[in-house]
Order: sequence, then C-alpha cells, then structure tokens
Amino acid sequence: MASGRDVRDMLGLPIGADAPKAALQKRPKPAGPSRLPKGVAREVAALYGERPPPVAVYEEKKAYRAKRANTGPAKKWVRQSFVNQARPDGLVLKHWRRKRDPEEKMIGNGEGEDTAMEDRENEEPYVESSGEFLKYNVEPEMPAFTDEEYEAHLRSDDWSREETDYLFRMIKDYSYRWAVVWDRYDYKPAENSSLAVQESTANGEASQALAALPFAQTRARTVEDLKARFYHISAKLMKLHIPEVQMDADQYARYEMLTKFDPTLERNRKTLAAALMNRNMDEVKEEEFLLAELQRINMAANRLDAEREELRARLEAPLPNHQSQAGLQSFTSSQALQALFQQLFQQDRSKKRSSGVGPGRLSLSGHDIIGTPTSAQQAQMSAANRRQSMAQQVPQTPIKNLPREEEFRFNVSTHDRLTSGVSFGSDKLLKMRQAKSNVQTQKIATALQELGIPDIIPIPTARVADVFEGLIAKVSRLLDVRKVREKEEGECRVLEAMKKRLNGDTDGANDDADKNDVKEEKDEIADSQEDGDADADGDAENDEDNDEDNDDDDDDADADGDEDADGEADEDAEGEEEDDDDEDAEGEDDSRVPSVRQVSEAVSTRAMSSVGHKRSASVLSQASNKSSKRARR
Amino acid sequence: MNMPNSSTAPNANEYAGDEVSAIVLDPGYSTTRAGFAGEDVPKSVCPSFYGQIGDDGDSSRYFFGENSIHNPVGDLQIKNPWGSDGIVEDWDTATKIWEYAITSRLTGSKPTDPTKNGLNDANGDAMEVDVEALEQSEKPLEDSPLLMTEPGWNSTKAREKYIELAFEEWGTPAFYLHKTGALAAFASGKASGIVIDVGASHTSVTPVLDGMVLRKGVQKSPLAGNFVSNQIRLSFKQSSPEIPLTPHYLVASKTQVDAGAPAQASYKTFATPPTESFRRHEEERVLTEFKESVVELWPGPGRFSNGTNEEIAKNQPGRPFEMPDGWNQVFSSERFRVAEGLFDASAALTDADSPKPKDEWCIPRLVQQALTHVDADQRPLLLQNIVVTGGSTLLYKFNERLNYEINTIYPSTRNKLIAPGPVVERKYAAWIGGSILASLGSFHQLWISKKEYEEHGSNIVEKRCR
Ligand SMILES: Nc1ncnc2c1ncn2[C@@H]1O[C@H](COP(=O)(O)OP(=O)(O)OP(=O)(O)O)[C@@H](O)[C@H]1O
Ligand SMILES: [Mg+2]
Repeated sequence: MASGRDVRDMLGLPIGADAPKAALQKRPKPAGPSRLPKGVAREVAALYGERPPPVAVYEEKKAYRAKRANTGPAKKWVRQSFVNQARPDGLVLKHWRRKRDPEEKMIGNGEGEDTAMEDRENEEPYVESSGEFLKYNVEPEMPAFTDEEYEAHLRSDDWSREETDYLFRMIKDYSYRWAVVWDRYDYKPAENSSLAVQESTANGEASQALAALPFAQTRARTVEDLKARFYHISAKLMKLHIPEVQMDADQYARYEMLTKFDPTLERNRKTLAAALMNRNMDEVKEEEFLLAELQRINMAANRLDAEREELRARLEAPLPNHQSQAGLQSFTSSQALQALFQQLFQQDRSKKRSSGVGPGRLSLSGHDIIGTPTSAQQAQMSAANRRQSMAQQVPQTPIKNLPREEEFRFNVSTHDRLTSGVSFGSDKLLKMRQAKSNVQTQKIATALQELGIPDIIPIPTARVADVFEGLIAKVSRLLDVRKVREKEEGECRVLEAMKKRLNGDTDGANDDADKNDVKEEKDEIADSQEDGDADADGDAENDEDNDEDNDDDDDDADADGDEDADGEADEDAEGEEEDDDDEDAEGEDDSRVPSVRQVSEAVSTRAMSSVGHKRSASVLSQASNKSSKRARR
Repeated sequence: MNMPNSSTAPNANEYAGDEVSAIVLDPGYSTTRAGFAGEDVPKSVCPSFYGQIGDDGDSSRYFFGENSIHNPVGDLQIKNPWGSDGIVEDWDTATKIWEYAITSRLTGSKPTDPTKNGLNDANGDAMEVDVEALEQSEKPLEDSPLLMTEPGWNSTKAREKYIELAFEEWGTPAFYLHKTGALAAFASGKASGIVIDVGASHTSVTPVLDGMVLRKGVQKSPLAGNFVSNQIRLSFKQSSPEIPLTPHYLVASKTQVDAGAPAQASYKTFATPPTESFRRHEEERVLTEFKESVVELWPGPGRFSNGTNEEIAKNQPGRPFEMPDGWNQVFSSERFRVAEGLFDASAALTDADSPKPKDEWCIPRLVQQALTHVDADQRPLLLQNIVVTGGSTLLYKFNERLNYEINTIYPSTRNKLIAPGPVVERKYAAWIGGSILASLGSFHQLWISKKEYEEHGSNIVEKRCR
C-alpha cells in the first residue's frame, strides 16, 4: 500500500505540509455568519427590521440524518399503566411503552423492577410498577427528641413546644433551605396556647389549627432566631446521645459548629452584606478608585523599595570583613556582586596607577560602572554624599601615598571622580574659554588676547590646565567687574542728565561722589577675587533660558551679563536642592513632585522679581538703587 | 438508529423524563396557553377574552376562541374573567375558556362540550347534561393529569377553586398547581433567580430559590401591557391633531394618504353595531401592533426625561405606522414616552381617568422591594439570574433599559439578565417550564391524586403545592 507520502515521493513532490496548505487557500473563508434564518425568503427577512418578528418563524433545518436501520417489523407501542413506588396512594398513570411480547424478552428501556406478574395472550390489565425515580425521593435527616428530653433539656422561655415542633416540621419540609423556611415561616399560636404548652404531646392537628386561625403573630422571627433555636437543640441532643468524649473528629467538629453559632454576629454580618450591596454608584466608583490607587501605591512602593535597595547597595561600602566571613556565599546577591565589582575596579585602578602601563588583571573600565542604569542617579549625588561615600571607600583601596615632591615629579594626580572615556587636555582648556553666552565668550577671548595668551596652548598638561583655570576665573571676574562698572557709569550718566535738567547747580559734587563710589567697589571686588569661584558648571539649559528671557526684557544691553550672573547663582543653588530631593523622593509619592515643582517655581519667580526689582530701581529712584546695590554687595 | 443531533429529542433517560401525557394549562390575562407536557410550545393558545350576547343569565350566549370574538356581531360584548387584582374573578366563564383551550385542540371535544355547540346551546343545558350523565368518560380530562399555573399572589380561595375545578369539573386523575414565576425560571434552566414577568394586566417580580417561590418577596404592579396600551391611547388623544384610532372591522376599504393627512376610507355600517367593549378590544389589537412595531424604550443611560435624552431621541430616525384606515405618520420621540412609565412613574402620561401611577409600581422599585424581602445572603445569587419573561418584555430595547436600571440600583453585584431570544420562549416561558416539569419522571410523586383529594379535600393544595 502506497501512502500519500510515498506517491508524493515518487512524483518528486515535496513531502510535508504543502498540499494541505494549498487546499486551505483554495477554500474561500465564509464571509461572516449570515443573520438570515434559513428557510425564509430574503424579501421576507428584509421586512423584519431589527426587531424579532412578532410571530415565531421556524426554520426547517436540513440536518444530517443517518439512514434508518431496518430492525424488522414495526414495534408496537402501548400506553402502559404504571404505579410509582414513591407514591403511597397507588396513583395509576399511563406512559408509552413498547408492547410486551410474550415470546421475546423485554427490549424496552428496561426501567423499573417489573413485578413477576406476567400477562399472557389475554389482555389482562397489567400495571407496571416503576421505582426508577425512587432514588430522587430523599428525606432530610432530622434530629429527633422525645417528650422527656424536651422537658428536661430543651425548654426555652422564648419558644413554646408547639412552635419548636412547627419549626422542625418546616425545616424538614424545606430540607434545611433556611431562606425558604424563613420565607414561609408563619407560626400562629393556637387559641389555647397556654394549655397547649402544658400538653407535651406533639399534636398532629396543630398545623390545621394554625392554618385556620388568623391570630396575631407572636413576633417576627429572623432567620438567625430560627437557626439559633434549631442549632441549640441539635447540639444539646447530640451531646445527650453521644457524650462529648466519645465523639469522633467529624462529630465533634459538627458539635462545635452548632454550639458556636452566634445569632447577633450573624445578623451583623448580614446587615453589613446588605449595606455593601446597597451602595450607590458613586460609592462603588469611589471604592474602585481607591482600590486602584491602593494597588498603584503598593506597586510603586515595591518599586521604590527595590530602587532604594539598589541605591543603598551602590552607596554603602561593603563591610571590610564581609567576604572573608561569608566566603563565596556572600556574592550570591546582585548587591554583593556590585560591591565586589566596585572593589575589583578600585584595585585594578590602583594597580594600574602603581605599575604604570601594562594590561590590568581585569579589563575593567570606568565606563562599565557608569553605564549602569542608575548612573544618572549616581551623577546626581549631592556633593556631601559623594564626599561621604568616598571617605568610606578610601580606606579599603590600598593607595600608595607618594611624598608630595615625588607626586609632582611623576605627575601623579588623584581625582575625586573620573569621567568616562578619554579626554584631551586641550579640550579641557578649550572648554574653559567657553562661557554661557556668546557675548561673554567673545569678551573672554579678547581679554586673553590682550594678555597675550595664544588660542592653542602647546602642552596642555594638567598643571597648565590648573593655572589656566585660575586665569580664566580671574578673567571672568574681571569682566564681571567691568560690566558692573560700565553699568554704574551708565546709570550715573543718566542720573546726572536728569539732575542737570532738574537743577544745574549741584551736579558736579554728586558726580564726584558717584565716581568715588564706583572706584571703591572696584577695589573691593579685586580683593575678593581669590575666594570667589565662577559658577563653572551650572545647568546650561536653564541658564540659556534665563538668558533669552532677559534679552527679551532688557533694553539695556550692559545689564545683561549682570543679571545673568545673578540668575546663575540662584539656579545653581536651587539645582542642588532639586537633586537632593530627587534622590530621596523619586517614585515615592506623586505629592512630592508638585512640591519640587513649587520650589523651582518659587525660585524662578524670586529670580524674576529680583530682576524686575533691579530694573525698576535703576530707573526710578536713586535711593532705592543704592540700597539694592548695598544689598547685593 | 438516528444519530443524535440538535434537532432530535434527547433520550428520556438522559433527563429523567417519563411522559404521562399530562396537560399543562397556563392561563393569563390576554391568552390562555395549553398543551401536552414534553412539547416545546403550547399547542393551544386562546384569547382569554370571551364574547357574550345578552345579559348574564340563562339566556346569554358565550363565544370563545380567536375566530368568534373578533367577529363583529351585533350586541357582542367582549369580557375578561380576570379581576383587577390579577386573580380570576368570574370563575364560571374562566372555567369555560380554559376548557375550551384544552378541548378545542388537545383532547378533542366531547359530545357534551358546551363549546362545540355552545353557539346554540344555552349554558344551563350543557350543565344539566353533565349532571345527568355522570360518566367519567364524558369529562374532558379523564386520562390526563393536569398541571396548572397560578400567579405568585394567588389567594388560598382561588387555589382551592383551581383544584376543585380540575377534579370535579374535568375529572383529571392527578393535579398540581405551580407558580408562574418558578416555572418561567425552569424554562430558562434556572432553579434560582429573580423572575421579572411583564404580561398584559400585571407586572410581577418573583424571587425563586431552588424552585420555590419566596412568597414574601413576590411583588406585583398593574404597569404592564395594558398600561402601555392606555398610554398609547392617551398619547394619541393628547397629540394635536388627535390621532384617530380606527380598528380593522370598521374599515371596508382604504386609499393611500400622505403622512399626517386625514384618512380616506370607506367604512362599514352595521345594523346592530357591536358594543363599545368590542370596539375597545379591536382597538387593542391595533395597539398591540403599534407596540410591536413602533414603541421603543429609552435604553439608558439615564431616564428618558433626563437632560438631553429627549433631544437625542428626537434626532433619531422615526418609525412609520399606518392605521387600518390608511392614516399614517412617522413617530419620533413620542414613541419612547408611552412605555417610559414602566420604569419612571413621573414620566407617565396622565389625564382625568388615568392618574399618575405610584412610584413603587415601577419595575426597578419592584425589583428592589423583592430583594429586600429576601435573605441577604441569597440576593447576589438572585441577581445573577434575572429571568425576563412576558409578552410586554418584547418591547424594543426593554432589556437594555432593564439592564441599565438594575445596574444603577446594584452597581456592586454581578447582574445578569436571562432573556430568551425567541418570541415564543419569552411569551410562553411559564408554560414551557410547566411542560418540562410535568414530563419528568421524578415529578410523578408530586401529583395530587384524585384519591388524595377525596381524602383531604381541597385544602390539600395548600399543603402540597408550595
Ligand atoms: N412584540 C410585542 N411587543 C410589545 N408588546 C407585546 C408584544 N407581543 C405581545 N405584547 C403584549 O404583551 C401582552 C401579553 O403578554 P403575556 O402573554 O405575557 O400576558 P399574559 O400572561 O396573558 O398576561 P398576565 O401575565 O398579565 O396574566 C399584551 O399586552 C401584548 O400587547
Ligand atoms: Mg403571564
């Protein structure tokens, strides 16, 4: 037998899923299930509209039907009388059954235990006895008590014997469906209730009397009342019949459950459940919102914890004797590994430093560490933190301390922090020439030219760079001072002109005073040049923004630089603050973010207001101008 | 052997079925449904209205069935045996209508059946014959057990009347009485649930637990199909110009007219015109047509009168309707208004004869009331099985609105509407449930047999059918 595979092989066709795929492609996809019922003309169906037709339309289904197997001549069926064994009254009903054939055995559905009674040829009425559905006739199990037991143990002030019986009957009737029992519970005490209590026999006609007499109900019982009574009795009876010590685990568990039923607790639970259900839309929405919020906070908290953990792992130095104690186990966590990495890196670096050139034991570069995801955070570390962490790290790295003159000779330098990659000393020098604004850069360039310093410094060693840095700092201070002077002079000129216009007499004296003032100032600034440091690394972006703003506002080109410097100082301080905040609060809570924003806003408005203040002061009154000058100083 | 598929009936053993050719009778205000248990639709659906010529008494003649009550015969009055409280009032004629429903299509008519030659026979004669020939075989239900349905609020007296009727008048061998609510839940395959039945005369809400109706929770209100019909009448009357409502029997021929233009039709004239009640009943047919094709419920969100909903409804395309006399119009937002009263009493149209319905009659309030009378633990379960049944729930967008309303009251539970799609299943749910129940083998032991009835009297129905 050749299989399809063999045939394909013989014909040189590729074996595999090619053929079925082609078959699949050939068959067009059925274009959506048509809503039209079968057997209804399209025109008729179009009249339906979107509503169901008021008259039911039956579709004729042409479903597959197997051919009828010929099983001989048609069987006869009769309406067979039968009695149901579950019925006590022997009601005879009729159902359709195969006619019983005396020769053949019963082929029918074989239900029920047929009685031995067999009818022969004569058409004697035969009554089948059906016990097929007997199994569904389930009687609920009920605890039973005798009159003596009731009298001795089960009496209650709240419940009469009649009502207890009524309750038991109801529970039996409704098979412990408490909701139904409570729904149908309608006990009406008999007329002679006081007498009825005395006679302790269970009187059968109680229900009759109850149904007939429209007496005032004693009081409405709640489900919990009913349950409490029933469970109480059940527990007592259980204990009576089986002493506690003899109960097996199951029984004891049940006994415990029965005794522990607390109707008030149950009632409270239900009130709560009902209250929960009856909440209105807003309350549900609020709850949903709160739950979502909670989930969000939880998630954020987890993330925050993880981040903090990581941060701590980066900040904190591993304990000195950590690894020696724990051995290899201590490096199972990523934190420990990170610490190890740090340490190795330090070692490697110091080794390199001491041995000069040559490949290190580990080819590690600073880039590897700095390129980790949290490098940004690390970069943002506050200066204080940085110093601290370095202080902690220093002892563990065995730095060979050279005497000062040797260090100088071998050109050894130590750095607080290394930036990644390679940088040229000339770049560093070039960078120092750049100022925040183009105008400033130009000014620096001209100043340097005046001093006779070439554009390209031939050997940009670190020491040269240091000196150059100092020089640049001085130059920028010089420029600042110059600017201040020019500005003051300009103002003086304006004021003088104003004064001249007002009264021509006094202007000469004033002018002198002003000039003196300016000179004094100049000296002062020159003195303080050493300790001051130009804001070298501020936030470039912010500064530029500020610059633009100021350019827009200012009609006085000279004032530009001045305000620039002011703004920078502010921004710088603020930047530090912000960084600190960031590190603490990141991802912690949204509420923190607006606060940070507020701070920055406040700062910027402060800057703005100071600008505005300065300007208005310069234009309006001399007195305030002086005061502001003093304040600045 | 046939392969079992979706269209073949399941084997009786699979569902514990054992059919004893019981008859299921589900009488309602608008129609009476009867059929054999085990079938999936009632074979016999007869109007519950009957015609009467002549005043009450021996000389009056009765007419039953669709064919005779729509026949414009002089002096024909159309009546209904149901009382305003949703319980049968006129027992004598109710018996005849039900008997007609059973005998006309199910068991075949017996010689003494008053409906067969009832057009000529005076009622009294038929009764006499019955009394004379006290032969079992002459009673209509001689060998069929009978399962009847009753409204959830049926009185003890009425229930006893039912069983007396079944055994004394119809001679049934066994009888059982079940509430429509529980049966409708069975029809949807649910043993527990809350059944919302919007029929013709009454809307009822019935909590059902494990096949048993929780009586304290049963709620009813008169806001149902007839209420909607009256609202439509009011709407027609209050629109300007007034919309004429001419039933079919008055129109001989009609010509096409433009929308809103007065009808141009030739009308029939009668020597002795049918009565006002006949006309009203015929008008009702037109209104039912109107309900089927035009009326729509505002599906939510919000009620129809809320905010801009009316404006939105106005901007939706209208629905045309043509009266039997040719008058026609496109109905815009007014088609929403007429059924709004079912959900929002304050939106109902009113006039001197029809005051504003009570707030607690609206369906959402009924559901709420029903649930407060149910044990708190069962409420979520019931809300997961909200069975919708009754002819008036076929109003367009009814389910959407009901769903919206229930979700507004109980936003925190999982509410699920169970509304069978086919029209038949929606209208005849109670009958279908009865058909399922009475064809079960395990139901045999619940029947009240004639012997038991004779032993205990009619009071037995209270003990056994609960
Ligand atoms: N498609 C439909 N759209 C709207 N209403 C309908 C529709 N079909 C029937 N009805 C209305 O439903 C009502 C009949 O419903 P149903 O047969 O459930 O009532 P019933 O059981 O006879 O009455 P009740 O339950 O009050 O005794 C009528 O008022 C009829 O106008
Ligand atoms: Mg009904």
